[in-house]
Amino acid sequence: MSAVIVSLRVPATPEHAFDVFTGDIGVWWRPGALFQLTPRGDGTLSFDDQQRLITTLPNGKVFEIGRVHVWQRGKRVAFSWRQGTFRPEQSTEVDIRFEKVGDDTRITVEHRGWDEIPQDHVARHGFPLQHTQLHLAKYWRNLLEGVKAEIQA
Amino acid sequence: MSAAPNIDATLAALADPIRRRAVELIGAQPRPAGDLAAALDLPAPAMSRHLRILKQGGLLEETHPEYDARVRIYSLRPGAMDALKTWLAETEEMWAGQLAAFKTHLEQRKP
Repeated sequence: MSAVIVSLRVPATPEHAFDVFTGDIGVWWRPGALFQLTPRGDGTLSFDDQQRLITTLPNGKVFEIGRVHVWQRGKRVAFSWRQGTFRPEQSTEVDIRFEKVGDDTRITVEHRGWDEIPQDHVARHGFPLQHTQLHLAKYWRNLLEGVKAEIQA
Repeated sequence: MSAAPNIDATLAALADPIRRRAVELIGAQPRPAGDLAAALDLPAPAMSRHLRILKQGGLLEETHPEYDARVRIYSLRPGAMDALKTWLAETEEMWAGQLAAFKTHLEQRKP
């Protein structure tokens, strides 16, 4: 397993979920103390003309988080992801899918940080990530149980 | 993210299949470079280059056996994968939190 995967089910059609996710990202994005996108904070995020994901800082400066590679309304949006602390040549990839599940939409975020490591190799010779895999499996199980409880509540 | 530079070096080091195999072998048992070169069927200079990159990636450390200070024994550095694990954990937490925030926004936005 060489990627972070997190999913959540929301009560909306895939098209509506996609439109709100991309169109209102500056509204719903929650600035995080641990995960600041730039040393000056997260700023206000927006998808710039379906081409770039940018954030506008309080001083007016614009930081490009990444370039949009895939824009399929109601289905998928994928973009590169760089934080302000990354080196110029370092980049990760975010792939977000919207799937219809009954009357709801399941949103799955896949954040890949090391695409260059073939997944089949990691699966076969799991050593370097073995501990991480166990850790993540536990995390996801807890997360999905939490989501399930929220839906049933 | 404070751990980013370490992750970069760690990922670069693990990006090569020969180096991943070397890490597996060293993980099973600390070894001198000559043993690794033989196990991986590599000439000594190539093995040295891979080991140097793995050291730069913070994955390996070298010690010398008591009987010969010229021999280097390579072993996995304790905590070598910490930066990567931190990145994974932080990134997961970030997206879990952001998706929850998105869901709340979506529900409040509904007419």
